[in-house]
Amino acid sequence: MLSDKYAAEIAGVLARYPIKNSAVLPLCYIAQDEYGHLSIDHIQEVADILEMPYTDVYEVATFYSLLYTEPVGQWVLQVCDDNPCCFTGTEELVADLEDRLGIRAGETTSDKLFTLQRVKCIGACHRAPVMQANLEFLGDVTPDKVPGILEDMVQKAQSGATLSISGRFAEQ
Amino acid sequence: MPDITLTIDGVAVTVPQGTGLVEAAREAGIEIPVFCHHPKLVPVGMCRMCLVEIGTPKIDPATKQPVLDENGKPVIAMQPNLQVACTNPVSNGMVVKTNTAEVEFARKGVLEFLLTSHPLDCPVCIKGGECPLQNLTMGYGPSVSRFDYDDKVHFEKPIPLGPLIDLDRERCILCSRCVRFEDEIAGDSVLGFANRGRAWMIQSKSNPPFNSKFSGNTVDICPVGALMNGEFRYAGRVWEIKPVPTVCPHCPVGCNMTLDMRYRDIKRVQPRSNEWVNEIWLCDRGRWGFHFVTSDKRLTKPLVRRGGELVETTWQEALEDIAQRLHGVVQNFGGNAVGGLAGGRLANEDLYLFQKLFRELLQSPNIDSRNGTLDEPEHDDLAYAFGLASGTDLGQLGKGTTVLVVGADPEEEAPVHLLRLRGIKRRGGELIVANGRPTKLDASATRTVRYQYGHEAHFVLGLLSAVLEGGSENKEFVRSRTKNLDALRTALRPFGVAAVAEQIGVAADVFQAVAQSVAGAENLVIVYGREAFAAGTPLLQALGNLALITGHVGRPGNGVLPIMRYNNSRGALDMGVRPGKGPGYTNVVKEGLTAQQMVQAAGNGKLQALYIAGLDPVAANPASRAALEKVGLLIVQDLFLTPTAQIADYVLPASSFAERDGTYTNAERRVQRFRAARNNLGDSRPDWQIFAGLGRALAAMVRQPALDTVAASAGKPTGKRPAPAQPVATARTWLYRSTDDINAEIVQQVAIYKGASYAQLKSSHGTWGRQAADDPVFYDGTSYTNTEGFGVQWPTLAEQTNVVFDLVFSQPTTPQPRNGELLLVAAPRLYDGGTLMQNAEGLSFWVAQPYVGVAKADAERLGIASGDRLRLSSAQGNVELYAKVDGLVGPGTLLVPDLAEIPLGQVQTGVLTPVRVEKVEG
Repeated sequence: MLSDKYAAEIAGVLARYPIKNSAVLPLCYIAQDEYGHLSIDHIQEVADILEMPYTDVYEVATFYSLLYTEPVGQWVLQVCDDNPCCFTGTEELVADLEDRLGIRAGETTSDKLFTLQRVKCIGACHRAPVMQANLEFLGDVTPDKVPGILEDMVQKAQSGATLSISGRFAEQ
Repeated sequence: MPDITLTIDGVAVTVPQGTGLVEAAREAGIEIPVFCHHPKLVPVGMCRMCLVEIGTPKIDPATKQPVLDENGKPVIAMQPNLQVACTNPVSNGMVVKTNTAEVEFARKGVLEFLLTSHPLDCPVCIKGGECPLQNLTMGYGPSVSRFDYDDKVHFEKPIPLGPLIDLDRERCILCSRCVRFEDEIAGDSVLGFANRGRAWMIQSKSNPPFNSKFSGNTVDICPVGALMNGEFRYAGRVWEIKPVPTVCPHCPVGCNMTLDMRYRDIKRVQPRSNEWVNEIWLCDRGRWGFHFVTSDKRLTKPLVRRGGELVETTWQEALEDIAQRLHGVVQNFGGNAVGGLAGGRLANEDLYLFQKLFRELLQSPNIDSRNGTLDEPEHDDLAYAFGLASGTDLGQLGKGTTVLVVGADPEEEAPVHLLRLRGIKRRGGELIVANGRPTKLDASATRTVRYQYGHEAHFVLGLLSAVLEGGSENKEFVRSRTKNLDALRTALRPFGVAAVAEQIGVAADVFQAVAQSVAGAENLVIVYGREAFAAGTPLLQALGNLALITGHVGRPGNGVLPIMRYNNSRGALDMGVRPGKGPGYTNVVKEGLTAQQMVQAAGNGKLQALYIAGLDPVAANPASRAALEKVGLLIVQDLFLTPTAQIADYVLPASSFAERDGTYTNAERRVQRFRAARNNLGDSRPDWQIFAGLGRALAAMVRQPALDTVAASAGKPTGKRPAPAQPVATARTWLYRSTDDINAEIVQQVAIYKGASYAQLKSSHGTWGRQAADDPVFYDGTSYTNTEGFGVQWPTLAEQTNVVFDLVFSQPTTPQPRNGELLLVAAPRLYDGGTLMQNAEGLSFWVAQPYVGVAKADAERLGIASGDRLRLSSAQGNVELYAKVDGLVGPGTLLVPDLAEIPLGQVQTGVLTPVRVEKVEG
């Protein structure tokens, strides 16, 4: 149960807001990191903690593209395919990633390590082409950098470091 | 609140402060088209259909005074952009323009946008003909679209949103009326929006889906064909439908509704607007529960037992034989050997004739409107004296009103009352809910009180003490209108707040807070239901005393609201279908047997004839079968061949509510008329016709008595005021041509129904400040305009200012479970699977499987797990049920849903039964 395992973190989040409902997004992130995605049961758990109707939490979970209602890998790679990135080589980058990972954009590798997604502008055009991995920005990603980046990620995952698909630790 | 004057399209309008612009414009007869706006919901401004130009007087920042032009008129500062009218409240001097070119252009644009993803499948759409999108597009929309047809959004359609409702996501314009209805009015947050952008859609993710007892209303208020009544799809076009006004036969709220007929078939049930009763809402049982009318199990011919078999006979033969045999019994054994049971599902006209038949022609005082099981409570006389005073409108009460709900589960017993009570809370009233278990109303309450079953009366006696100890009783009212307060004070001594608080485990300050809220309120409504009736007379008297000493009776907005079992249980009491009182709560010369005593007398061979109409004692308690089999002449009149009918000597087929005229009296004592929509099924006849036929046959045989069986005198609570003796029985010949004749006699004979003639029932009608449902512009749903009248609420005794009430007290008793026994509590269920739910396939999904709820603590102690088979036994008998360990059940109690499938009468020894629990294999 989230309420037991993350009791301190949840208490800290709740303390930040005058009403409980406001904590819906941070709690969804905690649940998503814990379970890998937000299923009906996980959403229910968040709803119970916040004493909100299940439906209201579900609305939030389906509205935001960074909340995943379907299972994803440990690393969610989101490649921007908006104009500036496209000019600087997004399509090549996506093709390269697809080749190396053996999946198409929108899919997850069979070892559940990577999910590859196309997204619209993530607000770092000056470093195009950009992608984000679990909300960490990676700029000027040319195909020659890809093997190193992927290798790092595999190592990080295998080292047992805490990964957050919600980017809870992105700033640390 | 002060009135506001503004100008709309050059017309000056004066409306109360807080009025929305759309409503203000309607007052002036100016149309502002809407989709998402609904008069019963909080405005959200989602659809943008109501865009108008708004200007307000320019204010000089220095002087804070309006700037005047050279003519001395205020300069109006028009807002630079169009504004939505629905979310903008009126203000003084406001200028609104609804007919400018800019507004028309905007409306056209909004409709063009709404139609970009709309499939335009009106010819096959069920909403066609009563669709605001269709109407407003014709009125304000563009005739062509610039949008590429191939780019329209496509979804799988329709998909079930719940067991009763289908959703066509392509037609949906995302106005959120359905979501807001469920959140705001029903309190069931089961609908929501999923995704965003073009994938935005309505979804229900509750388990089970669309888990609300009010889901049908979302179809009514849907302004497009997105939400559909699954049963009505392709069942007919709305312009072929003829709506026949009727009153719901399912529960005592008495919702006004229509049977929508296409030729001879009922195609759907829709609400009729009546702000006094159901506003524009219906519950799902009322809306989809009409199918019993067309069940192929309905009785269509009179049956007689010959050679042990029930065989068909003719009405003439059956009625003559029955009359002969009843006459024979009365001659040989006297009227005391005859008994009659007629239930609260019959209409007032039936019930009046029934008691007249027994009291006048058969000289029998033995009539009752109960089944004769041991758990049945005393009849309710409280509402006669202190019922919600006439003129009370639950839909208007709000701030200053306290509602005290004791032992009731409105969601299950009287669903639309739940909406009304939530409304009082929404408008600022206090809603205090006291029960032995959690109910859905708790979520809407300002305060919940949890007492232990068996201590209901103690709780209210504690409240009485808290009022008196705090000196907050209404002293003037107590002095002038009540007597024996000192006796009550003495009797209450053992029930002081401190003592009761300790005894029943409710904190003392809760009593004080509730007492303060009750005594200090301007208006007090006390609601009590089936679980309160189970606590018996001591509780009801205590509730009456609470209303009395705080002076909350006899004024509009004040009084008690008992929720009884059947739709016309109130009417059955009004008409005197009970052993101790005649019509209009008058005293009778000779008190007859109660239903329980009749079943007993039948078992002892003392009852020679028993006539049962609209009740089913054998189903309620299979053990009574043996007793009833001993009755020499058992006549059963019903819609179906019930377990009781199966052992009858004569079975008489009655018409359903859809096939006849009559009146029902609802829980608020409102007498309402319903109309025949279709022909009698087979040879079935309306109940009143059967009684009248028997009456005619008997009248010819019996030398009529002096007609003094019903000696009119004042009802019990007054004790003082002898009512004038009235001549009884005008129609000695029993020649009633229609229910009009019976109504005329009731109006003449039953004092409390003096104002309830058919003409008066109909006299108050209209559209109640809203347009008819076919208003194409201001659309508030497909409920029909009420053409049949809002009905008449008969006045309570307390409204006569010269009546003085006795503060009576009875000692509460508490059921004493012996070692290891648990208390069996029957929890009412709306979807009980009973006879009136027959054939209603749509609702069958919602009928619970039988189970017994066990508290966690008891389950651990007794080693019970969910799924175990338990035998519950009492001195009376036993039932076996599967256990469900349920956190909502209080320790020491067993909660059994009151489903038709569970013969609880078999085990109940009283209203709360202590039972032994043992595990059995199974």
